[in-house]
Amino acid sequence: MSLSPANPSPQASLAQPLLLACGNPLRGDDGVGWRIADTLAITPSTPPLHVILSQQLLPEHAEPISAADLVIFVDCSALTPHGVVSVIQIEPASSLPRIFTHHLDPASLLRLTVDLYGRIPSRSILVTVGGQEFELSEELSPPVAAAIPAAIALILREFQLQQAKNPAQQMKAAGPVEAP
Amino acid sequence: MSQTITIDPVTRLEGHGKITLKTNDQGEVSEAYFTVTQVRGFEKFSQGRPFYEMPGLMARICGICPVSHLLASAKACEAIMSVTIPPTAAKLRSALNMAQTIQSHALSFFYLSSPDLLLGMDADPADRNIFGVVKVDPELGRAGVALRRFGQHIIELLGKKRIHPGWVVPGGVTEPLDSAKRDEILAMIPEAYANIRLALNWYKRIADRFRDEADHFANFPGAFLGMVGEDNGLEFTDGKLRLIDATGKILVDKLEAAQFDDHFGEAVEPYSYMKFPYYKPLGYPDGSYRVGPLARLNIATHAGTPLADIEVKEFKQLANGPVLGSFYFHHARLIDILYGIEFIERIFSDPTILDTHVRATAGVNRLEGSGVAEAPRGTLMHHYKVDENGQMLWANLVIATGQNNNAMNRGVLQTAQRYVKGDKLADGMLNRVEAVIRTFDPCLSCSTHAFGQMPLEIKLVAPDGSTLDTIRRG
Repeated sequence: MSLSPANPSPQASLAQPLLLACGNPLRGDDGVGWRIADTLAITPSTPPLHVILSQQLLPEHAEPISAADLVIFVDCSALTPHGVVSVIQIEPASSLPRIFTHHLDPASLLRLTVDLYGRIPSRSILVTVGGQEFELSEELSPPVAAAIPAAIALILREFQLQQAKNPAQQMKAAGPVEAP
Repeated sequence: MSQTITIDPVTRLEGHGKITLKTNDQGEVSEAYFTVTQVRGFEKFSQGRPFYEMPGLMARICGICPVSHLLASAKACEAIMSVTIPPTAAKLRSALNMAQTIQSHALSFFYLSSPDLLLGMDADPADRNIFGVVKVDPELGRAGVALRRFGQHIIELLGKKRIHPGWVVPGGVTEPLDSAKRDEILAMIPEAYANIRLALNWYKRIADRFRDEADHFANFPGAFLGMVGEDNGLEFTDGKLRLIDATGKILVDKLEAAQFDDHFGEAVEPYSYMKFPYYKPLGYPDGSYRVGPLARLNIATHAGTPLADIEVKEFKQLANGPVLGSFYFHHARLIDILYGIEFIERIFSDPTILDTHVRATAGVNRLEGSGVAEAPRGTLMHHYKVDENGQMLWANLVIATGQNNNAMNRGVLQTAQRYVKGDKLADGMLNRVEAVIRTFDPCLSCSTHAFGQMPLEIKLVAPDGSTLDTIRRG
């Protein structure tokens, strides 16, 4: 048994991209992030990547984020128009929420990652699909389901850009898919 | 002039509640109420469902301790089936329960309570959160995150999901363990030991700074209930219940789940949806008692694992008899984590853990069944009645947080009388009132069956009923 404090291992899984899909698949359109992750898993051109499926972003996600060179958050947005795919680059938040129970937004999670492990991915983006139907259902509304191919294409392009930026890097075996 | 203070919502808890403090004409706090404002009603809507669906349904009560509900529910179902589950299934379920205890305690201690302990009760509320902890002591923050991940990952490996795993079923578990998962779990153990050792050492260094809080945070004589093993050591899943009084005298021992109702009743108060369980011979409220980490260490003679045994022995030196101050829930929680890590290491080092006989099957052989497990927050009881076809007729759940309800109310009063002065609400005094509740780590989703996050309000009310000051968060 080791009795020394644990050290973070930010280089543990060198530069493997991380896809962090957020949402509740029992709440209609809120499950689009999970559906995109599932679809990516069976898309032949998807490079190996580490996928985490979660209802919400948690402090525990800071550790895998610190080990990735690219993180893509995928979520449903209740603010953008129905079925519209959006992408924004995420930077660590400068200020953090005053009240915290156990979930976070992407920028706060990046800030926590910096503070905990001193490292964040070189690029962090948030891909959202505008949702409208959030009642109890495992089905996506038609506009949201129809937006999945566009979201997939956008994510795959991010992977290609990242590989082009790091041509020497060979993506290794795929990481596990973590369910909540 | 007398007044009422309301804290609504109470922050850094699981659920939603408010605190009302009433002062007398001398401006002293004379009454305190911790109110849980929402109702969910799982007992009601489970009626008519097949009993074997109950573990899956009941686990949905809570995203923090679904495993406890799975276990208590499955055990109630097994009483209806009249089966004893295979030994390997029992071991696997015990390990799952400890993994959940570890992740839940890590959330409580590191995310919700350590900001008070590290930064101080009077620190700027903007910093008094996990982000503030990480800024000041990133090593402690990393230990907390890693311990929560440790527990969650074991739950995920065994149950396939971190939240609401469906692996525990009436009769055992759905599938046996494979050696790859066992090896992965064992490989995580050394880091977990390092992290809990760091946390325990840190806590012991800072605990003395909180002597005044320790003396006034729900520190009073009262009874303690929990589960113990056959050797009187700590037990979370398959032991029997013991109730002791404030002097350590055993009031009830070796109690089976089915006997719970013979000894314990549930009172209600008009200001809260959370019930108030009590020990019948002493009546309500005198028969109120505490459950959870502090109660477990008070009722057990030892832990039953080498490192935790050392810690329990040291813990018991804090008092001549049961440790009565609820501030020490924090300390006990860390010892629970250490015990859990040792327990998990022991379970997964046992070669029989890969045995493939993990489920017993049977139909309805009794029309009533009770199951009990130690949830992270304390003793959890499920009691069901079914018809000949196994359809649910009636259910009653006695939740850990509910069993601490009276103690939390008394604690709020005691703390408010110590720290709330005058007619203005300073943040530090209110934070202490909230912090006494946090020591219990209440899960209001379970205990009220409420939905949502925990905001809290504190309200200061005059004797004439007028509200003099209110603080609201969330």
